[in-house]
Amino acid sequence: MNSITITVDDLTFRYPGSDEPVLRNANVEIDSGEFTAIIGGNGSGKTTLCKAFNGLIPHFFNGTFEGTVSIGDTVTTDSDVSALSKTVGYVFQDFENQLVQPIVLDDVAFAPKNHGLEDYEARAMDALESVGLEDAADRFIWELSGGQQHLVALAGVLAMEPEFIIVDEPAAQLDPHNARKTYEQLREIQRETEVGVIAIEHHTEFIGDYCDRLVMVADGDVAWAKPVDIGLNRVEELLDADIHPPQVTQIARQLPNREGTLPNGRYPVTVEQAVNAFPTVAPKGDHPVKPDGRGSDKTLISVSDVTHGYPTLREGRKTVLDAFDIELYADSRVALVGANGAGKSTLLRLLTGLESPDKGTVTVLGNDTNDTLPEELAEETVYIHQNPEEMFVEETVREDIAYYLESRDDPDVDERVADVIEFLDLEDIADRDGRLLSVGQQRRASLAIGLATDPTIVLLDEPTGSLDLQSRREVTQILSRSVTRTETVVVATHDLQLVAEWADRVIVLGPNGILADETPQSVFQQPGLLEQAHLRPPQVVELSDRLGMDPPSLTTTDIVDRLATQEGR
Amino acid sequence: MGYLDAIQNITIADIKLDLMRTAYDNDEALLNKFDPRIVIIWSAIFVIVPWFFYEPEPLFAMLIAALLLAYLSQTSIYLLGLLIWGSVSNIGFIVILSSVVYWWQGGSGGLRGAVVDNSVALLPFTMKLTVISVVSLAAFSAMSPKKLAKGLLSLGVPRPFTFAIAYGYRMVPVLVEEYHDLVNSLRLRNKAPENSGLLRWRYYLYLLKLSVKAFYPMAFNVAKRSRVTVEAMETQGFSHSLGNEASRELRLGDLQILPRDVTFMLVSLLFVVVVAVFL
Repeated sequence: MNSITITVDDLTFRYPGSDEPVLRNANVEIDSGEFTAIIGGNGSGKTTLCKAFNGLIPHFFNGTFEGTVSIGDTVTTDSDVSALSKTVGYVFQDFENQLVQPIVLDDVAFAPKNHGLEDYEARAMDALESVGLEDAADRFIWELSGGQQHLVALAGVLAMEPEFIIVDEPAAQLDPHNARKTYEQLREIQRETEVGVIAIEHHTEFIGDYCDRLVMVADGDVAWAKPVDIGLNRVEELLDADIHPPQVTQIARQLPNREGTLPNGRYPVTVEQAVNAFPTVAPKGDHPVKPDGRGSDKTLISVSDVTHGYPTLREGRKTVLDAFDIELYADSRVALVGANGAGKSTLLRLLTGLESPDKGTVTVLGNDTNDTLPEELAEETVYIHQNPEEMFVEETVREDIAYYLESRDDPDVDERVADVIEFLDLEDIADRDGRLLSVGQQRRASLAIGLATDPTIVLLDEPTGSLDLQSRREVTQILSRSVTRTETVVVATHDLQLVAEWADRVIVLGPNGILADETPQSVFQQPGLLEQAHLRPPQVVELSDRLGMDPPSLTTTDIVDRLATQEGR
Repeated sequence: MGYLDAIQNITIADIKLDLMRTAYDNDEALLNKFDPRIVIIWSAIFVIVPWFFYEPEPLFAMLIAALLLAYLSQTSIYLLGLLIWGSVSNIGFIVILSSVVYWWQGGSGGLRGAVVDNSVALLPFTMKLTVISVVSLAAFSAMSPKKLAKGLLSLGVPRPFTFAIAYGYRMVPVLVEEYHDLVNSLRLRNKAPENSGLLRWRYYLYLLKLSVKAFYPMAFNVAKRSRVTVEAMETQGFSHSLGNEASRELRLGDLQILPRDVTFMLVSLLFVVVVAVFL
């Protein structure tokens, strides 16, 4: 297949009703023979740029459009969205909403059928096969996991046999394990079929590992397009746009005397490169003082011999937790990690009392959840939903924060609400409708709703899920600060960087119960354990492991210190 | 309290599952085995037929047949219960009201006699309503969304409408989950009544209030998501397909009326004739 090129020539676009153009005289060329990553800060116009490739701009969003975009020889303004989509497929960031048919095969065949292609079924089956989902053809969309749904959306795009596939922030809605699988799938498709893959992404570690070219969009313009190795080396520019270069690149940059550079003078962008670039002698570090990260001896929560599951349509009752025991203590930051379906969210819901265990007892602050209403447990325990949208029921964030206090006739509602808003720096969004905020803002607001109740225990489900780095940093800060107001925080998460930086006790859940219950340091020393739980350590841990450092470093500052000290010797 | 809560937990999960089963698990359903056009025409006929009968006996026979059909089509027992409760309570209200008015006006036979008389008078009407609701519920819940959409499309219903059916089915689980999450989120922020009263009526009233309050946020959240859906459908050639003959033919290609479809129709009509002649 000959490669074709997307050519953007002097593109300027302004959404209707807005004064400022999103894109200003942008120029770029993208070739279908490569895996291209598009990167840029929030609101830089990267999604708008990509929507110009399949004609959604200007055919679907009619704004002011100047310049030309062409796909091969086709000029997008002379074509329409459905014709262009045959060449340029788009997997949306909210891919669940892209799936419109109840059954997997029907959804994948939806576009070919709409175009009247007689071989729609064969196309759909081929597409499903190429993403490894041929066995799920007859299943219902809602029965699939998020990762599988993303692959169905991808198959739906592949069924049209496009020249380009655009994937909008796959790592934002998927857990790291599935995001990596998706990237591997995309790279394979790109190599085998020479379909150009364009990923909008801000996780630079995926870019370093999988992409060929990097296009940087800043302030509505394409700032540059470079091979990934060179692009990710432009560290200052990336940081200015609130994009974090891969951890290994940051480490290399902070090492004194340019010790961490590759022979060609560049910083490494993958762990593999870093292992070759960095000094090889392994420096010893101090082992952590607290062996088990328990906090104090005061037991706040005890789960004893709990068996719990949920009913399914076809396979009877599915058991998630089986004869499960755990005790959680005061003054502790607990991270629950594990693959999807290992029972992290189920355990949190059991602690709220919204579900009663099928067998066994759950005791929270001395109350048996079987005999206590969730409303009563919520006086001391707060649960923050994985999807912050579910926390907004009023018209402004302020009212939502006040809701709990008002339902309990608290005498000084206004004062306490104002206090929480100030504590979490939410003045700018306090009077807006929570449901209309960005995900990052929603997340911060949902934490405020929780903390306003002055809880003893805070339970958080995926607090850093689908956040860009700026919002992620803010949420992590809130987490650290909230510990001063509460006794224990339990976080269910896939984000091992958060675990490394924040937690002092890690409970690793596997398919058959607890795999490990230790400090982050000791968990990260066991690569086999992490793999078993479908987890991948942060780059800094992987790197220190590859360099033979014992114990592994958990933060970039720590590894830089240790490597630099060794340099001095 | 734990005991009651356990029951309540099970029921919510079970009702959810039962609804999902009604919507999705149609493989074994009797009415799903026929050509969708036949089933649609059949149900249209049987929504009219009961109105030609005035005696309780044939209507009763039809009600039994309808319930049997509903059973064979795996209609949700909760939906069925809800429907029957709806007709009975509705008619019951009319009976009581009319009887009270009759008695008030000084009619003979007293209040009790009036209730009996009115009930008997309204019995055929009640049964007619119940038969047609059970028949249409059985037909429409048994057919898989794909079949239903196909059938309607081939009968000339516009594509955007038939698409809406398939899309609706796709969204049911999303709506159910969203709603359940919102109710739970509200529960964790509200205060249950301290004194729950006789049979905990205050507590249930409180839950009822929360479930009403959760509706608006649910509608809002789901509507917000559909913005992406509209964009995505455009990229998948949906509007292109509306005027496209080839696409329409692909969609209807495998519809076929088989002998068993004709048999089903004839047997049903024969049943009506038998009922009409012998009862």
